[in-house]
Amino acid sequence: MKKKTFRMTFNLALFLIWIVIFLFIGLRSPYFFKPAYLISTMLRNIVEIGMVALPMTMIILTGGIDLSVGNILVLSCMLGGMSAAATGSSVVGILVIALVGLLCGFINGIVITKAKIPPMITTLSTMYLYLGIARGISQGNSVYSFPAAAWMGNTIIGSYTDPVQLPVQILFYLVLAVVFVIAVQKSSFGRKLFAIGLNENAVRYCGIDTDRIKIIVYTVSGLVCALASIIWLGRFTSVKYDAGTSFNLKVITIVVLGGTSINGGVGDMKGTLLATLIIATLNSGLTVMNIPIDAQTIIQGVVLLISLIAFSIASQRARSRKVIKVVSQEKG
Amino acid sequence: MNRRKKASLMSTEFFLAVFLLVILVFMRIAAKEFYSKNNFMSLLNTYSYTLIASIGMEMIILTSNIDVSTGALISVVCLLLAAIGKLGAPFAVLLPVAMAAGAFLSFLNGLLITKLKIPAIVATLATTQIFQGSLNMVSEGSIYDLPASYTWLAFKAKLPGGIPASVLICLICTVFGLIFMKYSRFSRKIYAIGNNKTSARLTGINVEKTILATYAFAGVFFGISAVIIGTAGQRVTTTMGSGLEMTFIAAVVLGGTSSAGGSGTLLGTVFGAFILSMISPAINYLGISSNWSDAIKGAVILISVLVSAARNIKKKRVIPSVSGGGVS
Repeated sequence: MKKKTFRMTFNLALFLIWIVIFLFIGLRSPYFFKPAYLISTMLRNIVEIGMVALPMTMIILTGGIDLSVGNILVLSCMLGGMSAAATGSSVVGILVIALVGLLCGFINGIVITKAKIPPMITTLSTMYLYLGIARGISQGNSVYSFPAAAWMGNTIIGSYTDPVQLPVQILFYLVLAVVFVIAVQKSSFGRKLFAIGLNENAVRYCGIDTDRIKIIVYTVSGLVCALASIIWLGRFTSVKYDAGTSFNLKVITIVVLGGTSINGGVGDMKGTLLATLIIATLNSGLTVMNIPIDAQTIIQGVVLLISLIAFSIASQRARSRKVIKVVSQEKG
Repeated sequence: MNRRKKASLMSTEFFLAVFLLVILVFMRIAAKEFYSKNNFMSLLNTYSYTLIASIGMEMIILTSNIDVSTGALISVVCLLLAAIGKLGAPFAVLLPVAMAAGAFLSFLNGLLITKLKIPAIVATLATTQIFQGSLNMVSEGSIYDLPASYTWLAFKAKLPGGIPASVLICLICTVFGLIFMKYSRFSRKIYAIGNNKTSARLTGINVEKTILATYAFAGVFFGISAVIIGTAGQRVTTTMGSGLEMTFIAAVVLGGTSSAGGSGTLLGTVFGAFILSMISPAINYLGISSNWSDAIKGAVILISVLVSAARNIKKKRVIPSVSGGGVS
């Protein structure tokens, strides 16, 4: 019961932080408050990162990490774009993208669970591997968008006369977000994720196939990367092999900012959604305020640090309470 | 007795040494130009700075922490060196400054991790952004036209036979590191903390202080490495070290150090760093496009980790404890 109130307040705190940032930026530069800007620039720019942050939250909840997401994204972009260019068919492109994402995520999952190599090491080496394959196959050249990807990246629902025009990828993101919130917060699958993060051995002795769940989670992550890569390719029209390098850390930043413990077992999908909003607001808002991109990097780092410090203080209190409770129960 | 001997022969270090030897012999047969003086000297230079920084990274990983800000940290130190070097500071000034700056910045990481109890990977993730961002704020991209006194290490300082002086620095660091990690009491504490933080604390080790000292100490190595990287040319950019941290972590992991901390030797890292710094030039001389070097790097790390995991699984059929790393 107590834990629930605590989690509520953390999300509430995140929400308040977002309101403060949002109002502050909005008051400094009124242009920011225009719905057209908010939706078609601010939200549109964060969609890919926000999408990948959803399965990343799942992975971090199980106590794992995936450093290769950005490179899965680029690799599936590359292979999909190339095969679409070679065959001239968008269907082939989409299929290849989905297949590559699925396969990359599956490889991560298999190596982590079956060979029992820590997730960080596994995804570090597959990060090099996927990056390297993308670089080797493209020979350092750019890969260009194909019609289906362009549709995903650039379609806007609503005509010019409407007050609000909605880019189609935001719709995809919303659907995905709802699915993930339900899967993590409301389903038994989600409960298992939390349990694995807290004590994997105990979960295994309860008769739950932890390996299977982990493989599913990493594969889902690969698939979502593939979906994000279609939008990414459409939005930028050309992608080079090194485009995903800073992507990994941005995704992890969002998840951690959202209150998911990097040690696993503690976290909240809604926190990730709020953190996505905060980062989106910071990114676009600081640009509107004409703050140089480097200062934005610092501000993002500082925001991450502050939220970490706040979270560690709060969770230490919660933990000390919990430890006393557990010990007293054992004695009794 | 016999059995123990066999076990030591089966060690990761032994495998890596054999692997390295095989590659070296293969390169001798397949591409003789690989051993040309120019190429080999530049390989040695790369190896020097990779290994020196990997020694620091090894210590950090042994305590079951990690540092992903090393690349940005090295960039900061490089730019600082360039700013001083522009004024005509000789190498004798640059080296201690780099060591001090590296130690200070890494100490900040340590403070975040120990005092504020932030998991190492996220704390250093945040400092990466802060380092890199502030770097770009301070300078306009690069510092150039540096005097000859600045690039002394790269161009003038040669050992007999044309071997770059960075090799000597590397040798000193490695020998010191090997002795230190084997015989010092401090290194015992590092291993103890990596194996079990709680029991280390209960045996009277000041865990926080040791981790802080480890980070500061590792920072000294990062600083030395930054001197070699930064003084390699007359122009220093703000991205001198970007992405290098992954190479260092890879060298440590390739060397058989457990990423959960507590086990692994520096000797393995010595071989691991050599294999990693050899991949790019080797590929080049084999006539394969250099675009494939990252893929091969990744495959080598993955395969070697898989091989060592396969041997470990045979050895112990126990479910491993959940390797969250930062049990605090």
